[in-house]
Amino acid sequence: MKTLTNAENLKNKDVYAHADEVDVTPLAIEPYDKEWGVGLSGNTPEPSPFPRINNILKVTARTTNGFVSPERAELVTEAYKAHPGESQEVKCAYGIANVLENTPLYIYDDELIVGGLGCDKKGAPVHPEFGLNWVCNEMRDGLMDYSEQRTHDYFSYTPETQRRLEALEDFWKNRCVEDYANSLLTEEQLKGSHAGKGVFFADAYIHCGAGHLGLDYDRLLGMGFGGIRKEIEENLAKLDLSDPKDLERHDFLRAAKIANAGAIRHIQRYAELLAAKAAETADPVRKGELEQMAANCAWVAENPPRTFWEAIQLVHLANCIILIECNGHSISYGRFDQYMYPYYKHDIETGVSTREKMQELIENFYIKIWDLNKLRDHILIKTFGNGGIGGPALTLGGLKPDGRDGTNELTFMCLDANAHVRVPNPWLAVRLHSDTPWELKVKTANVIRLGTGEPKIFNDDVTIPSMMSSDIPLEEARDYQVVGCVEPDVSGKTYGWHDAGHMNMAKVLELAINNGRCFHCNAECPRWSKCGALGRRLGPQTGDLRTMTSFDQVLESYDKQMKYWCDQMVSVLNAVDIAHQNVRPLPYLSTVMYGCVEKGVDVTKGGTKYNFIGPQGIGIGTTGDGLSTIKQLVFEEKKVTGAELIQAAEDNWVGHEPLYALVNSDKVHHYGNDDDYADDLTKFAMDTYCKHIERRPNAHGGFFQPGCYSVTVNVAHGVKQWASIEGRTAFEPVSDCMGAVHTHCCSHDIKGPTAICKSVTKMDHARATNGTLLNWKFSPSALAGKTGRDNFIALMDEYVHRKGMHSQFSVTSQETLIAAQKHPEDYRDLLVRVAGYSAYFVELNKDLQDDIIGRTSLSFD
Amino acid sequence: MLYHNEKGEPCGLIYNIQGYTIHDGPGIRTELFFKGCPLRCPWCSNPEGIHVGPQIGVYPSKCLGQDKCNYCVKDCPLGGSPIRFDGDGILTAVDMEKQCADCLKCTESCPGGAIMVWGKKMTIPEILKILRSDRDFYERTGGGVTLSGGEVLVQWEFAAMLLEACHRENIHTCVESALHIPTEHVDAVLPHTDIFITDVKYADSARHKEVTGVGNELILKNIRHVAETGIPMVIRTPVVPGWNDDDENMFAIGEFVKSLGDSVIQYQLLPYRKMGTEKYATLNQPYPMGDYEAPERSVWEVNLLRLRDELRERYGIPVEAGSGEKLPGYGK
Repeated sequence: MKTLTNAENLKNKDVYAHADEVDVTPLAIEPYDKEWGVGLSGNTPEPSPFPRINNILKVTARTTNGFVSPERAELVTEAYKAHPGESQEVKCAYGIANVLENTPLYIYDDELIVGGLGCDKKGAPVHPEFGLNWVCNEMRDGLMDYSEQRTHDYFSYTPETQRRLEALEDFWKNRCVEDYANSLLTEEQLKGSHAGKGVFFADAYIHCGAGHLGLDYDRLLGMGFGGIRKEIEENLAKLDLSDPKDLERHDFLRAAKIANAGAIRHIQRYAELLAAKAAETADPVRKGELEQMAANCAWVAENPPRTFWEAIQLVHLANCIILIECNGHSISYGRFDQYMYPYYKHDIETGVSTREKMQELIENFYIKIWDLNKLRDHILIKTFGNGGIGGPALTLGGLKPDGRDGTNELTFMCLDANAHVRVPNPWLAVRLHSDTPWELKVKTANVIRLGTGEPKIFNDDVTIPSMMSSDIPLEEARDYQVVGCVEPDVSGKTYGWHDAGHMNMAKVLELAINNGRCFHCNAECPRWSKCGALGRRLGPQTGDLRTMTSFDQVLESYDKQMKYWCDQMVSVLNAVDIAHQNVRPLPYLSTVMYGCVEKGVDVTKGGTKYNFIGPQGIGIGTTGDGLSTIKQLVFEEKKVTGAELIQAAEDNWVGHEPLYALVNSDKVHHYGNDDDYADDLTKFAMDTYCKHIERRPNAHGGFFQPGCYSVTVNVAHGVKQWASIEGRTAFEPVSDCMGAVHTHCCSHDIKGPTAICKSVTKMDHARATNGTLLNWKFSPSALAGKTGRDNFIALMDEYVHRKGMHSQFSVTSQETLIAAQKHPEDYRDLLVRVAGYSAYFVELNKDLQDDIIGRTSLSFD
Repeated sequence: MLYHNEKGEPCGLIYNIQGYTIHDGPGIRTELFFKGCPLRCPWCSNPEGIHVGPQIGVYPSKCLGQDKCNYCVKDCPLGGSPIRFDGDGILTAVDMEKQCADCLKCTESCPGGAIMVWGKKMTIPEILKILRSDRDFYERTGGGVTLSGGEVLVQWEFAAMLLEACHRENIHTCVESALHIPTEHVDAVLPHTDIFITDVKYADSARHKEVTGVGNELILKNIRHVAETGIPMVIRTPVVPGWNDDDENMFAIGEFVKSLGDSVIQYQLLPYRKMGTEKYATLNQPYPMGDYEAPERSVWEVNLLRLRDELRERYGIPVEAGSGEKLPGYGK
């Protein structure tokens, strides 16, 4: 562990408040074992030791509701119209440059960092290049602002905003990603998709950017925007325009230069505005701060940062510009404690800054991220409630490229900052491994026990080999960041299309035992006239449980059915990928990613080093328990025939109550109880999905990576699926992430956390190269006291030792959640872990609230 | 009392096995709850552990109804005559006293978990298989197995054999007993007990008898006996407001704990929680505390912390409020 020497510690003791409580390195403002309580979540006024931060928090809305801002859409349209003959890349560059140079800028009281999306806090710009029609439709249909169909994550807008956006609608018809992608898709691809029966969803990036990346922080901080400009100019000068490849590069580099100039100008505009604001400020303290902020922006507009304050300012602005260019979510902050540490150390050693000052900057930075917002349609927010900007992950701890542990003071300060601000951004990820320092585990456990849902933990010991299996060399694999909800990624070198789609494995099992036909196939289905009425079935005819004579036939049918649906999903995702490349290249992003300028290739076309698409398998518990139910009850105990079991699900269990009770009881082998019978079948279900996804080529020069987590889309897939044989009734969520089944009847995992830990780690996490996730839910009593803390740490250690990849934790009592559902007004600040991220519980819709309440709670007092 | 299965193998009669137990001994533990108890403490939260022998517990709310199910009647060798239903065909009780074949078939056939059996015979190999599966957690935390109840030492012969088997496997052992047990039975388990957990409810024997049904002479004698062997002990008092939380009683207990010397590694004051009421209902028994309501948390918590501080000061004993503080020198 890189820490200051004892002499340095002593010298610095007076700069932080609780020095006498700390007797071990590393140092931070708080002692490493500071406790904030168990299960208190966000329900504390003035959580920060800094009055400034508490003041900012007072005016910070605990909501993801916002408003629609039309300026960006107009400025982009203006630029496209002004440059009609240019290539798509150059046109896009003029679009982003026009926004950066002209969009309104905002400066707020008390804040020490500037940067936003070109609109006021909680405002969401519109990105018509991906699709404008849906935005205008939702406004016209009353689905954008608050309504009965949209009770959270709603966006207000003025009639003028609507009129201004509608005026652009015609221009973007057939010029946007959505229209281009749809033109590539056939009926066979669509029938099982979001637009059909929802066997898989592949529409995540059909009307927004793919996002899910981190920029190349070493490049940005080492070169600055001026250095990047120089590199672009040098590469332009080297081109031989008689070479057709260089002609393409020429287009890209011109675009990159325009976008880079826009970024520089954008930051200079902040510098000018800050200087003007300083000039009119009377209070000498604030005046001085504004002058320093103006100087910071003026410097980092072109130059590499020299201090912590300059660096954090540049990191925030560079990421805001990515979001202004492209509204993809999960734009992530990389290994913040690693790339910021040299600035921290420099500032402490030279006396430029103090630990407290930098702690305050980090806390301000967190709130700035929370102020950002993103427009989503009313369907998506039903399952991705309270996502806000979505996915701003920040990674802490873990191995350095040379294999040593990278924990430092900033690791602790960044965790403290979460407890001090208690807003659900950024999404913190702590990397653990077999040699993680005890102090960091205690800090992590104490922040988790607070109950805001942060941070998640990632396991180097399985993630690094997993990444290496995707041809990533050891040093880069060790340097991974976590992107968004779940995904491991080499920051700045990966265009990973993480979380691009998801396959409902439970629906695949349904089709596999019903010869390709959906349960509850009837005239009420919107596809009836194209399908059932013609005697067709949704999927291929791979077998019928009513006539199967051995369990192996079930497995074989599942395998074939899975292959077919993976083919469909892969083809849809490749079509969307091609649409992005042709319609919406990303010249600014390309300048801050590794390799694009050097190669002269846009990031959407494979300009950076690693190029993946990562779709997830959903419902492994539901599928595993389904297989287990069939094997045990139909083929071994013969308590029920295949026909009876299918009929019971077809009838949504009505009239089959004893069977419903039986399949939901502990008399059937279930995943999550350290029972090899069910766990082996669950592993088969997951491996089969991975087998049909991994290493398939994608359209931007890389290959597909399977993941295994649902975040919250298990709710959306459940809504599309009729009852299933393991004891789900129609439209209930399928099982979440790597978790066990919990149906309306009961939870299928009943043996407690050690059994869950063992069952889940029997799965091959390393094979899910796009990531896995296990949600744990503890009652506060289970984690109280040193006993609760240290045994919880042991449980995490064991999960790491057993090669589980990733865990997230909820620590809220069942009673609190139910009370919050009844009296939301009293629980405005109650943060809970959803999956992949934390959210204000009362902002979620009831389905999702119920799903969270229903997850098995591990309570034992 | 020693049970045997049909093969003649010695068995424990166990009504619950709880993984990830963290409050009954150091580290992550698996706790085994044995049937049978000579005491009748009114605040008992495990009434299914009191009676010696298997018992049927009934959850009417989980019954699907005779019209839809009736599996219990169909599988009963006596045609369902011990099984009682209400007018709507919902299960109300299984009468084990009269006519019942004691075959427990109904508990196996009930698909909905409405008929539960409290107390299953388990052999040592069966128990060891469960313990082994959590061995990694024990080793990581200094945990192991805790034998509890009911009163585990009612089944002292089996307990002694099981503890010896655990030690042979290097599994750390705790025994939690109320110690109203013949001293020679206690002696049988001591050689393979790593930590002994017990409790003192009242210092005064008359009050003890009035509330729990037995005097405390044997209990106190046994506690002193165990302490003299040098086995580390955790002593507890369930602090029930209005029942035994008066200073006179608590200070007398403190004095007693002090007299035990260094064997006591922690003395825990456990707050009363109203738990187990639904389990009394499944056994068709009233909750013995009736409608007793403990005062608000803010009230009892203050008193508990005051008692802790005063007991520490007066007697210099290692008192903690609750069971959330680690045992000094134990666990990892």
